[in-house]
Amino acid sequence: MKNKNKTFSIERKQARWGFSFTLPCLLFFSVFSFYPIVNAFFTSLTNRMAVQRTSEFIGFDNYIYLFTKSNGGFSLMNSMRATLTFTIGTFIPMVVISLILAVFLMQLRHPKSKQFFQLAYYTPAVLSSVVAAAIWLILFDPRGLFNQFANTLTFQSGHDFLWLVNNEMLQASTMIVYFWKYIGYFVILFITGLAAIPPAIYEAATVDGSNRWKTFWRITLPLLKPTVVLVSIMAMLQCLKTFSTQYMFHQGGAARQPIDVITMNIYFTGIRNGRLGRASAMSIILFIIMLILTYFQFAVSKSDDVEY
Amino acid sequence: MKKIVVSILLILALIAPLLATGTQEVDENAPVTIEFWTHEDANRQKLEDRYIEEFTKTHPNVTVNVTRQSANKLIELVQSAFAANQGPTMFNLSIEDEYQYISAGRVAQIDYEAAGYSDAKDVINSYAPKMLEGVTLDGKVYGLPLELTNWSIFLNKKVFRDAGLDPEKDYPKTWEDMVEISRKLIIREGDILVRRGYDFRYGYYLVNNVPMVEQLGGALFSEDGKEAIVGEKAWIEFLTFMKNWGPNGENLGSPTYTAARKLFNKDNNDIAMCTTGLYQEARILNDNPDFYNSGEWMVVPYPKFKNAVKDVAGCYYGHFYMVNSDADKATQKAAWQLISYMLSHGEEYLVNVGIIQPTIELLNSETYKNMPYSDVFTGDFARGHIVYYGAASAEIQALIRTSVEAVMLQGVDPKQAYLQLKTSAQELIDEQ
Repeated sequence: MKNKNKTFSIERKQARWGFSFTLPCLLFFSVFSFYPIVNAFFTSLTNRMAVQRTSEFIGFDNYIYLFTKSNGGFSLMNSMRATLTFTIGTFIPMVVISLILAVFLMQLRHPKSKQFFQLAYYTPAVLSSVVAAAIWLILFDPRGLFNQFANTLTFQSGHDFLWLVNNEMLQASTMIVYFWKYIGYFVILFITGLAAIPPAIYEAATVDGSNRWKTFWRITLPLLKPTVVLVSIMAMLQCLKTFSTQYMFHQGGAARQPIDVITMNIYFTGIRNGRLGRASAMSIILFIIMLILTYFQFAVSKSDDVEY
Repeated sequence: MKKIVVSILLILALIAPLLATGTQEVDENAPVTIEFWTHEDANRQKLEDRYIEEFTKTHPNVTVNVTRQSANKLIELVQSAFAANQGPTMFNLSIEDEYQYISAGRVAQIDYEAAGYSDAKDVINSYAPKMLEGVTLDGKVYGLPLELTNWSIFLNKKVFRDAGLDPEKDYPKTWEDMVEISRKLIIREGDILVRRGYDFRYGYYLVNNVPMVEQLGGALFSEDGKEAIVGEKAWIEFLTFMKNWGPNGENLGSPTYTAARKLFNKDNNDIAMCTTGLYQEARILNDNPDFYNSGEWMVVPYPKFKNAVKDVAGCYYGHFYMVNSDADKATQKAAWQLISYMLSHGEEYLVNVGIIQPTIELLNSETYKNMPYSDVFTGDFARGHIVYYGAASAEIQALIRTSVEAVMLQGVDPKQAYLQLKTSAQELIDEQ
């Protein structure tokens, strides 16, 4: 009995320390994330305009409006379509290819070449999104490098691939920029996951006569499942929150409709047009979408924890 | 008894300042800090930094903190700051973005005495007719113009001659001429435009493109303001023109290319004409003095359609200095004094920055008349009108942009784009 009390006391002591360590993070989250979410929800129930001093409580009118009207020509439905197209078109290839690249990098025997590739893939992630989009705006110019490269690849000259003009090309262009910028980040996450798998398991597989292909499918991938889930959720959330690339491209003259992702619509509705109540309703809807998709992903990938 | 007397005295002491506020005198020597937010302009910055330095020397109690941002960024920053009740003491924006601050009561009317006027009438009479219309509400004036700007067409004579054209005779008088001349001036490498004849100033549809619709008999709103996008035929004709101009039409220009105005000063044989204001002259001089002094550029009037039913030039817009109504009286007074001091240098602003402060005195001055091509701008002023400045002007502009992008870039049929524009704009107007 005495012993149990002692354990209980140690646990409490540890919990207290644990709590004190997480307290700054909790405070930070409460002030900079939780409070804005709650505040946005209450604002979404009003007709608040940026420049007006007063606002009225209008219940769920903003939500009803967003699902039934065109929001002055920039409907939420179009934004949901643009966001989903971008997310699906970006995060699935990003997860798959970053995994392949990570496995490829782990196979490299020479540490210097390994470091070089890691650095090369990761460098774009260090750039700010605005700078990255600005660079790609120049590259996608009809006289830019990307158009010339595409001409060389297709054995022609002077063809304008309309990177920022054609609807499909414009959407693809935003995906390319995002893919280029974030692939290195996810490669590093996968490398960390791969490095955590004990080499003894691979050695045992080799002794048992397993080839590389089989080892990857039967050992690497199952043991990497927690990292795959983490990376796919992070990548999906990042894609759902995409903004800078689309905004910069639109500022550079590209049409808004094909790439009017929800965050951009929130920005224009709230910051440019000053409709803070309506913009807050959109951000709450985006939050709910992210919550549902994350839950869905957890549910689909739900399985026992991996233990080595 | 003693307690009651003390209590009454305390209550009176608390109430006294409240009762006194009505007749409170502004302490002229109390320290005042002015937060001044304005858009970037290298030429103007030099002048205004000097004016502020001179002003603070004569008003040692005043500190001025200047924040400069790009014109587009400033619109958002000012709005966000006001939303958080942290707006700057004084600022300037274009009238179509600024009017909402007047209608929402967020800016103070001019302190006439501090600004050097006797009353509202005195201010209005100091400026050319109608110039303060956009900042006058119920007989009170809420802003003073930093600049009133209209755009005409700047032309590079060398590029014209290179294409075998005589700039003095062959410059475009109509939009149809603009197409015809652009075909001759353009140089392509396959589909890619290496040199453009002219390109529009995309993004500024209210200023630059709505007049094209008006020339064809259309309008942004009906006279009673209840119907949006009036004149189906005119709007479809305008959208068809833009469709033919773009990459899915004759491929004469596109919003995705570098803005024509940015290329013009460099004189690199990549653009022949662009749309811009008198201020461009100071910028050419600043960026490329050789080109400025070569006399190889000229300014011609805003064109009109051959079948125009109305002669309308590009709209003019104003940047007005305004003062935050949340600032205390002493700060407001100091801000109006500073504005008045800066604006008392109209000729210097004109010569060094190329911006027009439309006082009667300046417009009648020899300095204005001697500015190269000022007669062209004056002529276009007379043909134009002020840009639309309603509460939803930014949203209306975004809608027009969307419809132009739809026909030019996305290949949408002009009639369909018009119908979409009309429906969305009407929805906005009905909401007001």
